[in-house]
Parts: sequence; structure tokens; C-alpha cells
Amino acid sequence: MSPETTGIVGIVVLLVLFMLRMPVAFAMAFVGFVGFAYLNGLESALTLLAQDIFETLSSYPLSVIPMFILMGSFAYASGISQRLYRTCYSWFGQYRGGLTVATVLACSGFAAICGSTAATAATMGGIALPEMKKYNYDDKLATGTVASAGTLGILIPPSTVLIVYGLLTEESIGKLFVAGIIPGALLTVFFVLTVIILCMRNPELAPPGPNTTIMEKIVSLGGIIEAILLFLLTIGGLFLGWFSPTQAGSIGAFGAFLIGVFRKKLEFRRTIGVLTDGLRTSCMVLFIIVGAAVFGHFLAISNIPFILSDWVGSLPIPPMAIMGVIVLIYFVGGFFMDSMALIIVSIPIFFPIVLKFNFDPIWFGVIIVMVGEMGVITPPVGVNVFVIKGIAPRVPLQVIYMGILPFLGAIILLTALLLIFPQIATFIPNLMYS
Amino acid sequence: MAILDNFKRFNEKVSTGFEWFGLAAFLLMMLLTTVDVIGAKLFLRPVDGSLDLMMILQLVAMSLALGTSYITGRHVQVEFFTPLLPKLVQRINRCFIRSLMLLLFIVMTWQLFVYGNDLKLYGEVSSTIRIPLYPFTYAAAVAFIPACLAALAKWIQAIIEVFKHES
Repeated sequence: MSPETTGIVGIVVLLVLFMLRMPVAFAMAFVGFVGFAYLNGLESALTLLAQDIFETLSSYPLSVIPMFILMGSFAYASGISQRLYRTCYSWFGQYRGGLTVATVLACSGFAAICGSTAATAATMGGIALPEMKKYNYDDKLATGTVASAGTLGILIPPSTVLIVYGLLTEESIGKLFVAGIIPGALLTVFFVLTVIILCMRNPELAPPGPNTTIMEKIVSLGGIIEAILLFLLTIGGLFLGWFSPTQAGSIGAFGAFLIGVFRKKLEFRRTIGVLTDGLRTSCMVLFIIVGAAVFGHFLAISNIPFILSDWVGSLPIPPMAIMGVIVLIYFVGGFFMDSMALIIVSIPIFFPIVLKFNFDPIWFGVIIVMVGEMGVITPPVGVNVFVIKGIAPRVPLQVIYMGILPFLGAIILLTALLLIFPQIATFIPNLMYS
Repeated sequence: MAILDNFKRFNEKVSTGFEWFGLAAFLLMMLLTTVDVIGAKLFLRPVDGSLDLMMILQLVAMSLALGTSYITGRHVQVEFFTPLLPKLVQRINRCFIRSLMLLLFIVMTWQLFVYGNDLKLYGEVSSTIRIPLYPFTYAAAVAFIPACLAALAKWIQAIIEVFKHES
């Protein structure tokens, strides 16, 4: 077989192994190893495997991933989310649909210190769902809001998906983070508008909550100070050039840990639990990158990415249509695969095309994160939906999926706007880094 | 079956024991960088070789967590297709995938030892504080062993399930 045919067979076998439930990380490593051995000999494939494991696991730039994951885990455990929710609740809870608006805003605030969708949905779901149930909010609206607003975790910086994208494509993580700010803020506004429109159409969905005095509102603002400080310290420090991304993550993790200790939320056993969770998640992500490194080396010697980008470049269709097809592939792929894994697997294939057509790589990063957001709330493997189902087991899955639909519409609308107006993502990075 | 259960329990204990060292390395990564940043920014005294130490700590921490993360099913899988298959086909598939996993883990572990030998032979050291790298490569290889044992246990379990179904 020619290298190109071997490459295509390798991709097909990889997809088959995914379907047969082989873990994504190890399926990529296995196919990459066997394919490399077929094309270059067993000896060099064995050396490549060990070298990729060693170089990936001991890569300093990659240490940014475990540090930001740890920051998210500590932020999750230190009760910051509860205080954020309480503040938003005090300001908006008394209005019709106010608790759902408070949930969206609290998710947005928590996303500014945590880069994971599942963690954002889990932490807010645990707090907001019982409150919404208490005030007879519609299950569809309540669960759909929390699952959808949780997706803000990977768009608003710090975002673990943007970090991994930046590392794989050698784009600046700082630029990617700032590029996520306006889309993140806009998506928050779109979600709030979605809630308002739904409540205007059917006021029974979300009855008003209890009234709070202006004094209570002002006092509640204290609850967001630590989140703002943590965000300013880590992301601000990164933008101002005080810290490297790894240092920003470490300082953020340490800051979140101190907040947890100070608030008496992190005793010894809980701290060990948080560390264990952070370590296992980091291990999972880094091994996906190990697998992608092995598979990427195989693809490179098969010439598939270069042939594909040349072929796509020769097609008589406008670049924007090609981008539309790429977005569609990510959208469909997101139905079946975790967004992080999907991005890691596909970047070696699609990124050369992005560069070939002179699309802005920073903008493309934000686009695929937006599409990845859809993946975590769409069936059959919508991670956030399963998280919410775990918190509210009495609510049927189809009710949660139905509740998500209006918010999915908001994400699709913003993605379309981003495709038409790339400046939404590129304006701040261009301004700051020009 | 009792032997397999004992073997699984043994694996869990070994993996958890390894993970405790991984947790220590993970915590150290955060503390080391924090001390380095504070030292460098406030006292103009960064920690010597902090980059090298971070690399080594990360290698060790992630390798030590492989066993437990595999046992607890933390690695991302695509789960929509196999539940649609008949039960026997699902069991045969599980057996097939687990044999691939076992094979891969054994090759990875063996090759890390070989790679450690190479690093030792060529005297490879870290870039700033010149620490020899081969002991940490050996450590990573040893840390992969619980994952191999867990993969072996899961593979035996899968074979038993196939034959149980047939009988």
C-alpha cells in the first residue's frame, strides 16, 4: 500500500476502534504505532512510541493543562460558585425567570475561573436546581438552562479546550483567551435573552422568587469579590506578561486552594479528593495528547494532511463554504465524541486547511470551541446532560434535551455571527497584540 | 472467579498506592511554580531548575495516575454504538478491545524501559540543572505496570464473560 492509502486506512481503522469503544487516547496511539511500523519499520515505531510518551508527559508547555485543571477543581470545591450564585440570586431572583438568569450569570462568572463545562454545570446544577424546584420552575427550563450555561466554561477564559488547541497549533494561549471574551459575553447575553423570551411567551415556566432589599443586594456583592480577584490575578497576570500560562495556572490553583482553606471548605480529605480528581482528569487529557502525537507522526509520514489541504485548496468552491463544511464536520462529530478529544484528533487534519486558506487561527480556535459547546449538550453523548441527569435523576433525559433546544439555537446563532463577523473574536487580540 | 477478584483487589491497592505518590508530585508541581513565581517577582530569587523539576514531576505524576484512571474508566470513549449490538457481540468486542489495550500497555511499558536504557547509555540530562533523565524514565515505566495488570484483569474478565454467555 502507498503511504497515502495507508493513511486513509489508518483513519478508517481509528474511527472503527472509536465505535468499538476503545478509549480515544489508546486507539490513536495504537493505530499511529501500527501505521508507523507498517510505513517505517517496527524498530522506528517502537522508538517513536516511547519517545512520544516521554516527550509529551515531560513537556513543560503542556504543564499548563494540569495547572488550569487543578485551578478549576479547587474553585469547584472552595464554594466560590455558591457565593456567585447567591449574589446573582439576590439581584435577579425576585423577577419572573430571575433564578434562571441568575444561573446563567453565575455560570458565566464561574467560567471565568474554571475551564471545564462539566465542572461548571455540576457546580451550578447542585446549587441552582434545588432553588428552581423550590419556586416551581419548569423542569425543562431549569435543567436546560444549567446544562447549556455550563458550556460557557470552555469559551470564557481560562478554557482547557483553548489551551490544548493553542498548544497543538502553536498559537498564543493569551491571544486565544482574549479572543474568547467577547463571544463568551455575547453568549451569556444570548442565553439571558433566551430565558426572557421563553418567560414572556409562557409566564408559568418561571414564577418570581422572594424579594430582597437593596441592602441585601449590596451586601451580596461581597460574594463575587474572590472570583473577580482570582480572575484578575491569573488571566490579568497572563495578559500583562507577569506570568507564563503554566505560572498563571499554578498561581490560580494556589489562590483557589487558599480561598477554600480560608472558607473552611477544604479539609484534608476533601483536598485529597480534589487533587485526585484533578490528577485523573489531567492524566486523561495528557494521554489523549500522547495518542495524538503518535497518530500525528503516522499521519505526517502518510502525507494525508498535506494532500488533503492541497486537494481542498484546488476545489472550485469559496473558502467560506469549505469552512462551513469543516464546522459541519465538527458539529456532527460533537454528537458522538467528547469535544476535547474531537479537537485533538482532528487538528492535524484540518489545521493545514485553515492555514492554506489564510483563515485566522485564533478565530478558528474560537469557532471550534463554539461547535464543541454544542457537542456537550447534544445527544447521544452530551456530557453536560448526563451531569444534570445525575443531579436531577427524576427529570427524564428527553426533558433535559428539550430544555436545551432554545439555548442550542442561541449557540448556533452566535456561531453563524462569528463566521460572518470574525472581528467578534479577533477584535481584542488584534487590539492588544498589534 | 475468586482468584480474579483477589487479583483485581490487589491491582486496585497497588494502583491506589502509586497514585498517592502521583498526588504528591501533582501537588508539588503547583507549589513549586507558586514558590518560583513569588521568589522571582518579589525577591528576584527564582527556584533554580524549576522548569526541569516541573517536567520531571509531570512525567512521574501522570504515569503514576495511569493505573487508577484506567481502572476507574476515566479515559474518554465513544459510547453510542456498542450498546446497539447484540449482547454476545458486545462481549466479544469487549474481549477484542481489551486485548488490544493489554498489548499496547505492555509495549508502552517495555519501550519506556528500553528508552530509559538509551537515555542512560547516552548520558541524557535535563537542560538547566543537569539531572540525569533515565531514573525518571524507569520510574515512569514502573508506574505503567499497574495499568498493565489492570488491563490483564479486564481482559481475563472479558474472556470469562464470553464463555459464560456461550455456556
